[in-house]
Amino acid sequence: MKKFIKWILSGWMLILFFVGFFLFWEYSIPLFDIPRYILPAPSEIFLKGSADLDKLIYYTGVTALETVLGYIIALILGLGFGIAISFSSILRRTLYPFFVSIEMTPKIAFAPLFISWFGFGLMPKVIIVVLVCFFPIVLNAILAFNSLSNELTLFYQSTGASRLKTFFTIRLPAALPQCFVGFKYAAINATVGATIAEFIGSDKGLGFYISIVTGNMRPDLAFAGIFFLTCLGLSVFGFVTMMEKILIPWHISMKRINK
Amino acid sequence: MKNFIEVTELKKVFGNGKDEVHAFGPATININAGEFVSILGPSGCGKSTLMLMVAGLLDSTSGKVEFESKLVNGPKTDIGIMFQDNTLVPWRTVKGNIELQLELRGLNLKDYQDQIYNILKSVNLEDFAERFPNELSGGMQQRAAFCQAMIHDPKIILLDEPLGKLDAMTREKIRADFQKLWMVKKPTVIFVTHSIEEAVQLSSRVILITPRPGKIDREIKIDLPYPRDLKVKRSTKFIEYVNSIQEVFHKYGVI
Ligand SMILES: Nc1ncnc2c1ncn2[C@@H]1O[C@H](COP(=O)(O)OP(=O)(O)O)[C@@H](O)[C@H]1O
Ligand SMILES: [Mg+2]
Repeated sequence: MKKFIKWILSGWMLILFFVGFFLFWEYSIPLFDIPRYILPAPSEIFLKGSADLDKLIYYTGVTALETVLGYIIALILGLGFGIAISFSSILRRTLYPFFVSIEMTPKIAFAPLFISWFGFGLMPKVIIVVLVCFFPIVLNAILAFNSLSNELTLFYQSTGASRLKTFFTIRLPAALPQCFVGFKYAAINATVGATIAEFIGSDKGLGFYISIVTGNMRPDLAFAGIFFLTCLGLSVFGFVTMMEKILIPWHISMKRINK
Repeated sequence: MKNFIEVTELKKVFGNGKDEVHAFGPATININAGEFVSILGPSGCGKSTLMLMVAGLLDSTSGKVEFESKLVNGPKTDIGIMFQDNTLVPWRTVKGNIELQLELRGLNLKDYQDQIYNILKSVNLEDFAERFPNELSGGMQQRAAFCQAMIHDPKIILLDEPLGKLDAMTREKIRADFQKLWMVKKPTVIFVTHSIEEAVQLSSRVILITPRPGKIDREIKIDLPYPRDLKVKRSTKFIEYVNSIQEVFHKYGVI
C-alpha cells in the first residue's frame, strides 16, 4: 500500500498531464464549436462506447487472439532462427543476408496478398502479425548471440565445458538483454499488424470495428475502439516488459531507468 | 630433466599476404613449477598473443608449447585465466561468479563452500559474496575475478594485465593481495604486464620482450625475499632492478 502511494506520488506529474489533456479536450469541443462528427468529446466517447461494450469486448478478444498467437509464433521462430544463424556459419552467409534484405521491405504490404490467398479468417491475420514481429526478434537475437565478449569466450573454453552447458550458463543469459530489445519492438508491431490486417479484410476484430464505424460517421465509436486497442497494445508491451524484469533483473539499463 | 612448461621457437603471424601481421616470436621460454614469471614488454609486442598460445586458446604459426612434456594442441583446461577485462558475469553475485568456474567444470559446489569463503576472505571480499559485480569498485571486481580464476586450484595461472585498468593506489594494494595468495598455494604463474615495478615486485623471473614482433631480449632473475613489501620496494637492490630494466626499454625507444 505504502509502495502504491509512493508510486502514485512519483507519477503525479504524468497523472496531472493526462487529467489536463482530457479536460482540455472535453471543453475545447463546445469552446471551438467542433462538430461531433469530426471530433467527439471524451464524455461522449465514454457514453456511446459503454452502450456498445459487448461488441467492443468481443472484438478486443478477437484482435487479442490474433496478436498473441502471432507474437508467440514469431517469438519461437525468431529465437530459433536467431540461434541457428548465430551458431552456423553456413546460415550466417545465406539466411542472414536474406533476412536483412527482406527487413527493408515493409512487411505490411504483403497483407492484401495474404488475405486474398487465405481468406477472411484468423490465419492471414496471424501470419501478418508473425511477419511484422519475426524480423525484429530474429535480427536482435543474432546480434545478441554474436556479441559475447572475447574474454568470456576464452574463459569458458579454458574450462573445457560442453557447448550445451556453456550455452545455458553463459551464452543464453548474456544474450537476453539484447533479445528483449527485439521482443519489445515486436510487441509494439504486433497490435499494429493485427489492426491493419483487419482493416484490409475481416468481419470481426477491433480493426474491422474501427473501419466500419468510421465509415458510418461515428468517430465516437471509433475512438472507443482505439481506446480498447490502446489497452491491448499496452497489455502486450507491459507483459513483455514484466517478463524482462523477472528474467533479467540484473540488467543495468533497467536499473538506471528505475533510479 | 624437462622443464614444467616449455615454449619452443613459438611464433605467431596473423592474417596472410598484404594483411600479414607478425605478432610474436620466434621465442623459447622454459618455466619451472612454482615460478612466478612476468612477461614484460611494450603495448602491442605480442604478450597477449603469447599467453593465449600457451593456454592453447590460439593456434601458433610455428613452434610448440609443452606442459610436463605433453604437447598443447587445444584449450588447456587445468589452468586459471584472467584478463584486463574481467570475466565476471553481471547476472551472478560474486559468489555465483566463483561458482561459475566450478559449474562449468562439473565440480560439486557443496565441496567448495568453505574454500569459496576462505579465498574471498583472503582478499577481504567476504562481506561482498552476495553482491553483484556492478555494485563493486574496479579493484574489488578484479579481486573477485582473481578468486574466480583460482578457486579450482589450478597448477598454472595465466594473468593478462589483470591490473591494467586500475588506478595506481588500487594496483599497489591488489598486488600485495595477489602475492599473499600466491605464497600460500605456490601455483606456477605467468603474469603479463607492461609495468616494470609490478613485474619486479611480484616475479621470481622477468622476461623482457622486444617491441613487435616480440622476441626475448633477456631474462632477469629477481633475487629478493618474499613477501616483497614496501621495505623491499625501497631497497637499493629493487631500485637497481627497475633501473636496469628501464635502460633496456630506453634502448628500444619505448620509454
Ligand atoms: N586476432 C588478431 N588478428 C590480427 N592481428 C592481431 C590479432 N590479435 C593481435 N593482433 C596484433 O598482434 C600484435 C600483438 O598483439 P597483442 O598480443 O595483443 O599485444 P600486447 O598484448 O603485447 O599488447 C598487435 O599488433 C595486434 O594488432
Ligand atoms: Mg595485451
